[in-house]
Amino acid sequence: MTDQIAIRTEGLTKHYGDVKALVDLDAEIRSGEIFGFLGPNGAGKTTMIRTILDEIRPTSGTASIVGLDTHEHSVEIRKHIGYVPGDLALYPNLTGRDTITYFSNLRGGVDWSYVEALADRLDADLSRKVGDLSSGNRQKIGLIQAFMNRPEVLIMDEPSSGLDPLVQREFQAMMREVTANGSTVFLSSHTLSEVQRVADRVGIIRHGKLIALEAVSSLRSKGLRKVELFFDNSVDGAVFEAVDGVSDVAVQNHHVTLSFSGPMEALLNVVSGRYTLVDISTQEADLEEIFLTYYRDEEVPS
Amino acid sequence: MTLTNVFTKTTLDRWKGMAIGSATLALLFVFAMAVYRDIDLAVYTDLPEFFRSMVNISEDADVASLAYGAIYGSYGAMTLAGLTLAMGAASTAGEERKGTFGLLLANPKSRLGVLTSKTAAMVLLTAASSLVLWGTGLIAPEILNVSITGMHVGALMFHMFVLALFFGFMATAVGSWTGSPAAASGVAAGVMFISFIGAGLFPIIEGYENLAKVFPWYYFTGSQPVNNGIDWGHIGVLGAGIAVFSVLASVGLARRDLKSQTVGVSLVDRLRGNPITHKLADRLAGSARVSRIWVKTASEHQGLLLITGSVMFFMMGVMMGPMFSFIDESLADLLDQFPEVLLALFGGGDMSTPEGWYQLETFGMMAPISVMVVTLAIGAGGLAGEEERRTMGLLLANPVKRSTIVLQKTTAMVLYGFVVGFSIFAGVAIGSLLGGLGMDIGNIAATSLLVTLVGVAFGAFALMLSAATGRSKLAVYGTVGVALVTFVVNAFKDYSDALIGWAKWSPFYYYLTSDPLFNGMNWRHGAVLAGLAIALVALAIVLFNRRDLRQTG
Repeated sequence: MTDQIAIRTEGLTKHYGDVKALVDLDAEIRSGEIFGFLGPNGAGKTTMIRTILDEIRPTSGTASIVGLDTHEHSVEIRKHIGYVPGDLALYPNLTGRDTITYFSNLRGGVDWSYVEALADRLDADLSRKVGDLSSGNRQKIGLIQAFMNRPEVLIMDEPSSGLDPLVQREFQAMMREVTANGSTVFLSSHTLSEVQRVADRVGIIRHGKLIALEAVSSLRSKGLRKVELFFDNSVDGAVFEAVDGVSDVAVQNHHVTLSFSGPMEALLNVVSGRYTLVDISTQEADLEEIFLTYYRDEEVPS
Repeated sequence: MTLTNVFTKTTLDRWKGMAIGSATLALLFVFAMAVYRDIDLAVYTDLPEFFRSMVNISEDADVASLAYGAIYGSYGAMTLAGLTLAMGAASTAGEERKGTFGLLLANPKSRLGVLTSKTAAMVLLTAASSLVLWGTGLIAPEILNVSITGMHVGALMFHMFVLALFFGFMATAVGSWTGSPAAASGVAAGVMFISFIGAGLFPIIEGYENLAKVFPWYYFTGSQPVNNGIDWGHIGVLGAGIAVFSVLASVGLARRDLKSQTVGVSLVDRLRGNPITHKLADRLAGSARVSRIWVKTASEHQGLLLITGSVMFFMMGVMMGPMFSFIDESLADLLDQFPEVLLALFGGGDMSTPEGWYQLETFGMMAPISVMVVTLAIGAGGLAGEEERRTMGLLLANPVKRSTIVLQKTTAMVLYGFVVGFSIFAGVAIGSLLGGLGMDIGNIAATSLLVTLVGVAFGAFALMLSAATGRSKLAVYGTVGVALVTFVVNAFKDYSDALIGWAKWSPFYYYLTSDPLFNGMNWRHGAVLAGLAIALVALAIVLFNRRDLRQTG
């Protein structure tokens, strides 16, 4: 990861009449990082992406990609980016190969051996018409066209929708590889687990405002988890309630369930030496709970 | 309850198009009647019979019957039937195409139930449009103080309504069997055009008059309902057709596997799949067709071009030549009696000459329509279509300027306009040779070039609307509306002092006013049309550059 900035927005604002889709968005996405852009449906993720791609124009504020103004140099910028739109639509009458050929012609050439390699990795069928493909298989064509020109910046809006878990894993590996080679990935998602797995930093957007911008590790430590502990003997619930960050403790004989936010070490410390822990299972709280936590902290005036 | 929902949804989805269509027609009707009122009527007394039958005019032609015949008898019926068949084609086939039929059928609702609801909406909206036109047909004479004594306006409207339903049900039936809205509207519209021409032409040809009865259109105009009232026998024939199509639609839909949102397999796809033809077909359809934006755009419309080009080449071009020599004599006596003002609506022309014949039959109306069908499809669909199908964002993620996209779409549009123009030229030139008519090849080329430029100018207007709004329907309706109005204003320019000044604002003024079939190319007029097209494309670029792309699909 370098200190260069791949994407920068300054006071980026977009209003649709009275609807404030983006409000004063300031963000810096560093070169070489995977940036997860999280938010519930309708929060402004897609509006932000469409604005920096010059599909729509900001009401105020500016944005730049690889140091170039997104409106003034939009065509130059597009030589350096790959893009997967949300709710991807392709040309149903074209085969996957035709589709790739079309976009590669618009870009002025592409390395076909790389395309074939990508297709292999994602198990994509390039010979069938896109309209005959399932949405997951269609999504693979969208991913290939975004990766194929080895872009400096990859901008992807909900890219893993419809992909099966195996392909998702391959796709995550692909993201890590390109960032290892210096590219930047801007990944919009509402799936926390995916973002947690690959992203270096995340931004959380709600009602058009960026309400949090931090490293995944700190988000994870903030994140609520549901913890189940199994012991070889009966335990006392009060022991757990005393730990900072623990709530909703329920004890059934040898079995304790609780909600916990904080570093896991604190919880394990009170257990070790006192009881014999047989098994432990932790489950990350779902996105909704994380969001709720944030929204409680940072109420956005409507 | 679901029946009500499908019915009301379909009605709400479609009422705007119907309303715009019938309102435009109603306006045109009032306009035409006002013009006819100010014209010397002496020329109408001895109209040739075939012409009267074709456009539905009674023997003692007067202001009212001229207006009914010219507006409702041809344009009106075609527009109403066109709107109805578009609804029929979009019925269950449209839901299949959009991939929403499965969702609809996940509700406790049978296929037949959905079909019935959709069809009921089609009938309702067609009836409503007919009522609007009927009302206008009754009110306009009152306002303009034109006598309609002895006229059966209601009967004309009823025939028109049933004719529209006939084609609507035909489209529904084809859609139900194929699941393809394109096939449904293509077949029904094709049959409609052929039947319009057939029902008008065969009565002219001695010994073949009865062949006209093969064509559904005959049962609309054949009995002259505006003069003679409703002909229940003729209504019965159309009604029987409707009944047959209903049964076909129900059976076809019930027994077939529904399509998921799949794409049809075209001939080229089969050739690509075959190892022997693979290489050639791939070169034609594969890498070549996606080499540039304009090539891809062009390839998307090749079916439309093929149909339009061949209809113009064979039917309106090649066939018309021999036909002129065939009907020459029977026409000779009647030529002097033609009311020019009526012919003006079909492009005018002196029917005693081959040039006049071709002008009336081919160049007057069909030629500009045919070029516009193609240029409008690309102009309106090219930009707005990509936005509506949500592929524009992806396209613009490539290093391509917005203006480049506009220009590439324009290239495809202009190219196709010229291909249709060339098929008209080739068809008429060959027709003239076959019929031994001895028309000047250069003049045919000049007229074909001018009609191409008219079509391209309107295509550029559609492109401009599509660039400005991102809505292809608005671009199509807007352009068709402007084209209709400017066409009529120009057609009537010689008969109304008030219109002479206005006519110069009509692109059609720069098409046939200089009589290019007799006088050859008028480069000044050609330059006006080309300049108009260029200005509109430039405007399209400016408007498209400024705008936020639409997000919705």
